[in-house]
Amino acid sequence: MSDDQTIGAGEDRDFLAAEYVLGVLGAEERRALELRLEREPELATEIAFWEARLAVLAEGVAPVPPPAEVWQRIEARIAVKPAPEPGGLWQSLAFWRPVALASAGLAAASMAGLIYLAQIPALGPPLVAQLDEKSGQPGFLAASNPADGSVTIVPAALITGQQQQSYELWVIPPGGTPHSLGLVDPTRPVKVAVPPELQPHVSVDSTLAITLEPRGGSPTGQPTGPIIANGKLASL
Amino acid sequence: MDAQTRRRQLVAALGRVAAGDRDALRLVYANTSAKLFGVGLRILNDRSEAEDLLQEVYLTVWRKAARFDESVASPISWLVAIARNRAIDRLRSGRVARASLPIEAADDVADASPSAVDLIETGQERARLNDCLRELEDRQSAAIRAAFLDGLTYDELARKSAVPLGTMKSWIRRGLLKLRACLER
Repeated sequence: MSDDQTIGAGEDRDFLAAEYVLGVLGAEERRALELRLEREPELATEIAFWEARLAVLAEGVAPVPPPAEVWQRIEARIAVKPAPEPGGLWQSLAFWRPVALASAGLAAASMAGLIYLAQIPALGPPLVAQLDEKSGQPGFLAASNPADGSVTIVPAALITGQQQQSYELWVIPPGGTPHSLGLVDPTRPVKVAVPPELQPHVSVDSTLAITLEPRGGSPTGQPTGPIIANGKLASL
Repeated sequence: MDAQTRRRQLVAALGRVAAGDRDALRLVYANTSAKLFGVGLRILNDRSEAEDLLQEVYLTVWRKAARFDESVASPISWLVAIARNRAIDRLRSGRVARASLPIEAADDVADASPSAVDLIETGQERARLNDCLRELEDRQSAAIRAAFLDGLTYDELARKSAVPLGTMKSWIRRGLLKLRACLER
């Protein structure tokens, strides 16, 4: 920044978020800023401010219909096994509700049923985890599905829904930092697609945790709210 | 369909995408891909790169739709932000030949009139930004538009406008300061 004769380099950081959104930063400056986002929520807020305001400028760009094969490529990449029929046993909270009333031992036993229901093909050993609440009671059960790299999360307790907040699932490799796997629903089973880059973290001894976050999930990319339940992945 | 109805539809669809609904992603794609392809083409100036970008953007949406927060951004501004960020990362990676950009690209920056047929934001948000941009000096708002639309670095912007780097930086930063003050009024 030595060639900046008009505004002192000390002011650089005040402009970083706007300059990031505008797109005038180089690759290294962009990466450095993205790394800071994990720890500095105010920077993320500042970026969101500019992204929301400046997006209007894109109106000046004429839409161009993309070729049909682009969607076909996307569709091929998101293809997973068809979701279970709505209303089926799998989706039925009533089926899982008794788990909430059962002891931890019974909940563990029901994991076998969970795996059975998931009908996981023999592509590798599925992993399971019992996510306990602070009280020690099981809050959620989780099973990985090696066939499509997903994790199924089943509520095992009647958690009072927090309408204004979201439940976010995290995977934490041993000694590592949390990575978001997306939002889960405390009232019904949810199948979470794990992005390819995070799949190596879904392994034995990694921790799965669910935190209470602002609606839509953590704004910072790291957990910001209290841990609702957590537990370690183990092979079946 | 008015902008508000469309926005509500997209918000709902993104909610379903977060729950793993592929049809919802198809709906989001059908309604927004032409805009994002236009944005990507403008920055990358290469059809095949822009097609790859589009695929990357919607796969990101598929994985991260749960992070969309309608209290922070409209669906289209969230999508435009993802597309621009990925496009700029592609540009900066050096894989896309920036030299292919016509040199006049910097001159057509004033064309960003609100006459586009697809009104992507509510009239209020659009009017607000445009009013605030009008309060800037012409060269400030032109530089900000050029940076946003073409994804150019300070250095590239300075060269295209044939001014020293420090001057370009100053135009944009002073413009941003005024813009922020105006938007927060």
